[in-house]
Amino acid sequence: MIGFSQVTKRYPGGHEALSGVNLAIEQGELVFLTGHSGAGKSTLLKLIAAIERPTSGIVSVNGQNVGRLSRRAVPYLRRNIGLVFQDHKLLFDRNVIENVLLPLDIAGFDRREALKRARAVIDKVGLLQREKANPIALSGGEQQRLCIARALVSRPALLLADEPTGNLDAGYAADIMAMFRDFNQVGTTLVIATHDDRAIAALGGRTLRLDHGKVEEIPS
Amino acid sequence: MIGWLRHQKHAFAAALRRLRAQPVASLFAALAMGVSISLPWGLYLGLETLGRLAGELPARAEISAFLAADASTEQRRALEARLRQADIAEARYVPKEEALASLSTANGLADVAAGLPDNPLPDAWVIRPRADARDALVGLAEEVGRLPGVAETHVDSEWAERLQAGLALGHTVVVVLASLFGIALIAISGNVIRAQVLARRDEIQVSRLIGATDRHIRRPFLYLGALQGLLGGLAAGGVLAVAGALLRAPVERLGMLYGSHFPLRPPSALEIGVVLGLTALFGWLGALFSVSRTLRLVETAK
Repeated sequence: MIGFSQVTKRYPGGHEALSGVNLAIEQGELVFLTGHSGAGKSTLLKLIAAIERPTSGIVSVNGQNVGRLSRRAVPYLRRNIGLVFQDHKLLFDRNVIENVLLPLDIAGFDRREALKRARAVIDKVGLLQREKANPIALSGGEQQRLCIARALVSRPALLLADEPTGNLDAGYAADIMAMFRDFNQVGTTLVIATHDDRAIAALGGRTLRLDHGKVEEIPS
Repeated sequence: MIGWLRHQKHAFAAALRRLRAQPVASLFAALAMGVSISLPWGLYLGLETLGRLAGELPARAEISAFLAADASTEQRRALEARLRQADIAEARYVPKEEALASLSTANGLADVAAGLPDNPLPDAWVIRPRADARDALVGLAEEVGRLPGVAETHVDSEWAERLQAGLALGHTVVVVLASLFGIALIAISGNVIRAQVLARRDEIQVSRLIGATDRHIRRPFLYLGALQGLLGGLAAGGVLAVAGALLRAPVERLGMLYGSHFPLRPPSALEIGVVLGLTALFGWLGALFSVSRTLRLVETAK
């Protein structure tokens, strides 16, 4: 589903985040990216979602060369990818359900169908009681679950999560990881960047360690 | 098609929400636009009033033909026959007694008239030709002047020409002012939209990350520009209504002093429609220019 071939990403200023990375991720896999901060985990995720473009090499998603996508084609790629951010990136000028409706509005869904889907996914992350709340009133764990709900509402085949439990205490982190495992079991491909080793140990799955821009497979 | 309509509906609703979210800023922008537009619009209405007034007054050119004192009856009949032809709109005979009588009643000239031993004035025709081009007037005046029994002709069209030239100049000024203020309107709308885009930086960045197209992000801002322009047009209407109410009494008084009636003309429904359409268009244009530039700014500043 995802392929990296000799991918190098050099930022202006000369910092090389990835150097000659090769990897393949199959549909339905659960993959953890580990490595200390600055090792290139976020860069790797950004390349998959075409938020950044590789300096050289080929990044492909579902057979599309993502680094060469035209500006007009990028939105349609992103509609098939759910993104979960460490800082949630929620919009505080609208309530919980409106945040979840945003991807469906963008995709042009019928309002009634969109509401049905949004409620279902909010229920799945356990926020149905709070659907009219402003996200600022939610706890850190709830905000992260809301971010996940927004990422999942358009039923993407691929979910990318960048440090999803980075700001959370252990109890919330375990909740979130358990949720990810459930999604993986119904067929969603997950790539999760984290340095939470306990979560990796609890969930199992494939682990890739990034170190100085190189990828190393860790046998489980 | 249904999807497209749904997108438009969403975008329009979003634009309305954004307008309502900043009522004071929207109001001030509308007022700035309104004042700009009301200047050329008000000038236009004033000129229209003047132009109509000029049409009611004997603004059309006249030729006076003075008869020789010794003109014979046959010569007078021939002249009258010439003046009944189709190229003459109106011809009025002014016998010298009437001319003297009107001279006597004119202010300041009564003494002069009374002091005259006998009537020195000639009989005359006052002629209004159908054509009012200067060449045609002069040609006709010369033709009439060559008829036997006519002593002299005089073309009295200068003040009418000056008025027409003044009105034409006024209309040019309206066009120039309207263009300038149209540009101002585009600039005001562009600034409003720029502020809106910057205020919605987070929403734009998040929308991009979850698959919004350029068009989807731009659309509410374009509607917002058009709505803002429309509000500006309405504000201009308000400014003119207030100005009209304030000016009506003094203008009517001035009109009475000139022995005439100057009703201030309110704009017609068509004119209001055209102005609102244009202001919406210019607001939209300003948004169009501004939004792409500002979006690039928002995207590069991460």
